[in-house]
Amino acid sequence: MTTEAKIKPKVAFFDFTSCEGCQLNKLNLENDLLDILEHIDIVEFREAMDDKAEEYDIAFIEGSISTPSCVERIHDIRRRSKMLIALGACATQGGINAMKNLHPIEEVRETVYGDDKYLFPTLPAMPISAIVKVDYKIDGCPMSMPEFLKVLKSLLAGQEPIKPDSAVCVECKLKENECVFDKGMVCLGPITRGGCDAICPSFGQFCTGCRGLISNPNKNAMLEILTEHGISLDEAKKRILLFNSYDHSQSLPK
Amino acid sequence: MKKYQLNNKQLPSFIDHLKKQGTVFAPHKKGDTSYSFEKVENPNSVVLDYNRTLNSVKKYFLPPREHLLSFSKTDNSFRKGSFKNEKKIFLGVHSYDMKAVLKLDYNFSQGNPEENYLQRRKDSSFIGVSFIPDEFHFSQSVGIPLHDTEGFDIYLEQNSDGYTVKIITEKGEKLIDGFDRVSKAKDISSNHVQFQNKLKYNYNRLPEVFEQSWNAAVWEEVSKKCVGCGTCNLVCPTCYCFDVEDNLDLSLQTGTRDRSWDGCMLNGFAAVAGGENFRETLAERQRHRVHRKFKYISDITGEPWCVGCGRCTAYCTAGISIVEIVNQLCDEYEQNYLNRPAVVGLNAERL
Repeated sequence: MTTEAKIKPKVAFFDFTSCEGCQLNKLNLENDLLDILEHIDIVEFREAMDDKAEEYDIAFIEGSISTPSCVERIHDIRRRSKMLIALGACATQGGINAMKNLHPIEEVRETVYGDDKYLFPTLPAMPISAIVKVDYKIDGCPMSMPEFLKVLKSLLAGQEPIKPDSAVCVECKLKENECVFDKGMVCLGPITRGGCDAICPSFGQFCTGCRGLISNPNKNAMLEILTEHGISLDEAKKRILLFNSYDHSQSLPK
Repeated sequence: MKKYQLNNKQLPSFIDHLKKQGTVFAPHKKGDTSYSFEKVENPNSVVLDYNRTLNSVKKYFLPPREHLLSFSKTDNSFRKGSFKNEKKIFLGVHSYDMKAVLKLDYNFSQGNPEENYLQRRKDSSFIGVSFIPDEFHFSQSVGIPLHDTEGFDIYLEQNSDGYTVKIITEKGEKLIDGFDRVSKAKDISSNHVQFQNKLKYNYNRLPEVFEQSWNAAVWEEVSKKCVGCGTCNLVCPTCYCFDVEDNLDLSLQTGTRDRSWDGCMLNGFAAVAGGENFRETLAERQRHRVHRKFKYISDITGEPWCVGCGRCTAYCTAGISIVEIVNQLCDEYEQNYLNRPAVVGLNAERL
């Protein structure tokens, strides 16, 4: 294949309120990194290089919106990007940051910053899509690397990526994993959006719901499953809210 | 029918004898409390006394994931994969799972024969083993007697010392040929085993129930407990629906067309271009799932397409039972369409 004459899309990575793990693990794509760079020009990536650019074909955004300056910055990036993609649970659904929304905002601010709280304005944690248009979301904490590659390939081929909308249970069954419930644990797999190849249950861990819930989650039935398997209703709700506070805290039964 | 006695101690050498003739697949322990069919490496790790495997032997003929073909955009070409012609021996299959394979044979050979399934299905021998029904098995209610040997080449019926080996077919005769460590069959009476789990009506009365089942109350009721995870579809030995997806390599020039198991309880299953979904609600999906097992295919073939393995119920984290659903349909049928109560379980008992 000739690549000399090809104009490669300009790609940038940005981070907001997050641990920066989702972007960092892009650098772990060692085996594929050179092949990827055949197709794209990375023009801005604070964790890996100093360069900056004015405009982007694809901007990948990690982290949630949680301060007024985040809002300004994401508007600015959106204006300069043809396509904007949210990467990882913080960006796609507020992630664990959104647990702060379960408490009064002033209380949270005081707990974290103490006497200096007036220096640090804060907002409830929000996914990127609460502020600007997001063209595609890659879920997970951290985001799934195979899914990132799949989405990137689809975009480069000019196709709309397919968003998975079936539960993690499906992937456990395809891999013939013993059900985590049969190991005596409780698991959010039955209502959590798959696409991660059931990586946690495959390695003996239960699903924590990091990829968000499927599009029509039967939350009451899920709470019943969890309590039937031995945890309290309060604990069951906390499990669901760990990653899903932004989308689902209002709709869980009191 | 020729019969032999195979004692427990002789089992590993029997498995070694089979391994000389082909690849042997048998149940193994998996995880804390489960079992799965695996290729036999060590005869001592085979477990013939098991309740059920997570997946049935279906996975060897219709793999959970497979490449259908590889393609190249550069020269607009595609290439199908080839199949290894190996002799496969499935050891330790329960009668309901054997019946499920025969049902899939029907599904995949009618209309447009499904080449991949039929290729993989070639050169397969089946050695059945008896089982003790647990609280989930109900295969007898759907017309599969405990010791049904249809489809098997050899059948092992457990007795106090090991197994009575029944040679069912000529193929079975050849499989055991040369293995001289079996003795003459002892006249050991096998225990009379009862199924704990039963459908209320015998299977041949179910068509009349399913004539009236469309608007039954049970669908809404069961959907309150259901989360739509699809487990019941995916563990079912007679479910065969799949999805097909094209995946590009990083070259963006070549790729593969892949297929994987799908299920009618899942969100994307009945969604079509334009965003329409023909079965939006979990109640509609449950109704569809159960009708696929007891009505749609059954109206054509005259037999239930459920084999009573109990997997959908045993592995449902929400505790939804297909037997309870069907029994409630029978109740609703009696209440709404029959003036007098039916003689409960008469036919089922007599089977």
